Order: sequence, then structure tokens, then C-alpha cells
Amino acid sequence: MNALLLSLLAAVIILDKYALGEFGISQPIITGAIFGAIFGDLWFGIFLGAMMQLIFLGGLPIGRDIPPDGQVAGIITVVCYFLLRDTNTLGHSLFTAAVLGLAGGIVGGVLEVYARRLNEKLYARFIHHEENLYLCHTAGLLTAFARGLCLFIPLFIFADLFTVPAVAPQLTKETITIIGVSLGLANSFYLFVKVKTAVYLLIGGVCGLVLVVF
Amino acid sequence: MRLGFGRLLRIFFQSLFIQTSWSFPSMQSMGFLSDVLVGVGEDKRAEIMRTQKGLFNTHPYMVSYIVGATVRAYDEGKASSEEIGRFLAVAQTSFASAGDLLFWRTLRPALLLAAVILGVHYGIVGPLMFLVVYNIFHLFHRIKGINDGYSMGWDVIYLLNKPRFKTVRGIFEAVGALLSGLLISLIAAEVSYLLVIPLTALFLIMLVKRYSAVMIIVSALLVFLIIGMV
Repeated sequence: MNALLLSLLAAVIILDKYALGEFGISQPIITGAIFGAIFGDLWFGIFLGAMMQLIFLGGLPIGRDIPPDGQVAGIITVVCYFLLRDTNTLGHSLFTAAVLGLAGGIVGGVLEVYARRLNEKLYARFIHHEENLYLCHTAGLLTAFARGLCLFIPLFIFADLFTVPAVAPQLTKETITIIGVSLGLANSFYLFVKVKTAVYLLIGGVCGLVLVVF
Repeated sequence: MRLGFGRLLRIFFQSLFIQTSWSFPSMQSMGFLSDVLVGVGEDKRAEIMRTQKGLFNTHPYMVSYIVGATVRAYDEGKASSEEIGRFLAVAQTSFASAGDLLFWRTLRPALLLAAVILGVHYGIVGPLMFLVVYNIFHLFHRIKGINDGYSMGWDVIYLLNKPRFKTVRGIFEAVGALLSGLLISLIAAEVSYLLVIPLTALFLIMLVKRYSAVMIIVSALLVFLIIGMV
């Protein structure tokens, strides 16, 4: 599948983030599985999606706060990895995809602010032309879709054509796991650990250690 | 007074678009208006357009409760627009807070943790489990919320004390804590994985000190760069 088709699919999936339904399809662990299946490596797609999911677990869209876009970061990391893998080593592909994904997540958050500013114009139009309520409201799908395309097209084309120089840093599956689990642990401790839930954390920790050792 | 299956379906479908045109000055205003308008009779539409165009924002899954109660108020025709506006002001903040705590802070991260652990160990089972279980809760609130809002009217706010909010949140807080511990199972018994301890401490300190999310992601990026170069 070429970079343009992948961008279109990714821009449709990212509508799930807030513009349509919010069923959770755009979460990195799900998009990792979808794009992993498309590229014929389901397991690695799920693994990469899972690591990005842990990194962005704490980004909560509460009120007016718009954190870096974890969903965008997940899609970019997984798709760019598979596109880069064709012409680069695994270590170079992983490093470049992870950097593009994290940077893309930050840019995605900024672009979301711009998309919502465009929606202000739709609201202003509705105030002056009340009969256009459904048209102005539904046009919000276009701003959300356009945000996705603006992010995905250049990055996917870049990943499709780019050859990473041999001197560039590399990552292994092990190092991605270390960073993913570290941020996942920090995020989940921050979200869930209280005095009344400490005992469950302890039970989970003991079970986790048993699984690691045996 | 009955809501009817057709109206329930129309309100539910429109509620899926509640945040489509989200903007800073009006937030979900157009989404809320669109949803209420598909539920009320033709004769009420002009009045609603005239009086309920102001800022509206709540949790996207919780809007069903508010729309249900608002449609009921317009069907009955007893309450004035000002009274409905006052109900909306109270309901949107109450349901926003309850929804944020239940879904964004508890249920979704807990289920995502489960999906990650299952996904890394057993593949597709993790993502599928998340989609099924998460959407059972999500769609329950979307659909039941419309019905309950319509049948209870303005008393729908008292539902916030019911088990579907408090008990479920308590259960998923415990599940989340358990899964936080189980997350350790993703690492291997090798010396290099000891790096998880200082990195977790670093990121936890940043979270507790309320560093911005951008700063934390930039730090992760720097860690990637340093480890990549080493």
C-alpha cells in the first residue's frame, strides 16, 4: 500500500479521536494491530502500538487542555517503521520511526488547536446563518480529516523515500520496551496508585515478577 | 410520554458527532444543538435555536443523559427556556466531571493497560478485548443515558450517585492498580532492564511535579536519542 493511501486511511481512523464516535479505534494499540496486519507483521505492529500506548497513557483530554496527540504518534510510529524497514536496518528504522512518532505527537497537538480554531469560523458562520447548523457542524469532520492528512502525507512520503545514514543512532526492541514500560509504569502509578489501591498494586507487582522470573 | 425507538436511534446517532465541530468559544455547542434538534418536534426548533446557542461542554459519552432530559423538558412544555438553561449549566459540569473521572482517568487507561499486557503476550487478543469491553461501557452510557434522561427528566443528575458511576470507577481503580504492577511482566530478567527503575522514577517525578505533557514527551525523545547514540 503506498504512502498516500496509508495517509488517507490514517486520516479516517484519526477522526475517531474526537470528531466521530470515539470508539477507541484510534488508540495506538488498535492502530498498531490494524497497520501491522496491513504490512503483514501483526505482532510487531501490536508491540510498537503497545509501547506508544504506554508512553501516552497519561495524556487526558480534560476540558480545554489539549495534550500531545498519542493517537497520531502511535499511527506515525507504526506506519513509518514499516515503510522505513524496506530500505533500512531494524535499528535505524525503529529509531527514526520512534523519533518521528513522538515529534509528530507534539505537532499533532498543535495542529489540533488550529483545527479547532478553524471550527470557530464554522461556529461564527452558524451564528449568522442558523439554517446552516448541520452543514457547519458536519464541516468539522473536514477540519479533523485535513489535520490528519497534513500530518500523515509528508511524514509517510518521507519515511517511504528516506534512507537513514549508517552513522545515525539505532534502537532495539529491548530499548523501546525499557522506555515504554518506564513511562507506562510512571503514568499508571500516577493514575491508579492511592492508599486504598496499594494492595492491588502489590499483588500485581508480585504476579508480574513471578511471570518475569518463570 | 414516550421517547420511542426512532427518536432514540436518531439522538444516539447524532450524539456520535457531538464533538465534530468543537471550538474554543462554543465548545460542543453546535453538536449539542444538532442532537437536541433531532429529538424535538418541529414547533420547538425555532425557540431552541433562539435560546440555547450558548457555550456547551460536557463529557462526550455523558451528553446522552443531558440531551434525554432536555428533550423531555421541551416535550412537556412546562419549563421556560431560562429554567432549561439553568439545568444545562448545572448538568453539563456535573456530568463532565463524572465522565472525565470514570472514562478518561479510570476505565480507559485501565483497559488500555490490560490491552497492552495481553497484546504483548498474546497478540490480537489484547486489542480485541479493549474494543469489546470498552465499547460495552461506552455504548451503555450513550444509549441508556438517552432513555434515563428522558424518563427521569431533570432528576437525571441524581444518577451520578448510582453504582454505574461510583462502583464501576472503584472497581476499575483497583483493576488499574493491579495491572500497573503486572506491567512489570513486559520486561525480561536481564541486567539492562534495571534501567526501568531510574527512568520510571524520573518520569513519575515529572508527573507529580506537574510538568507539561509536552515536556514529558520531549524528555522521552531525549532518552531515545541518548540510548540510540550509546
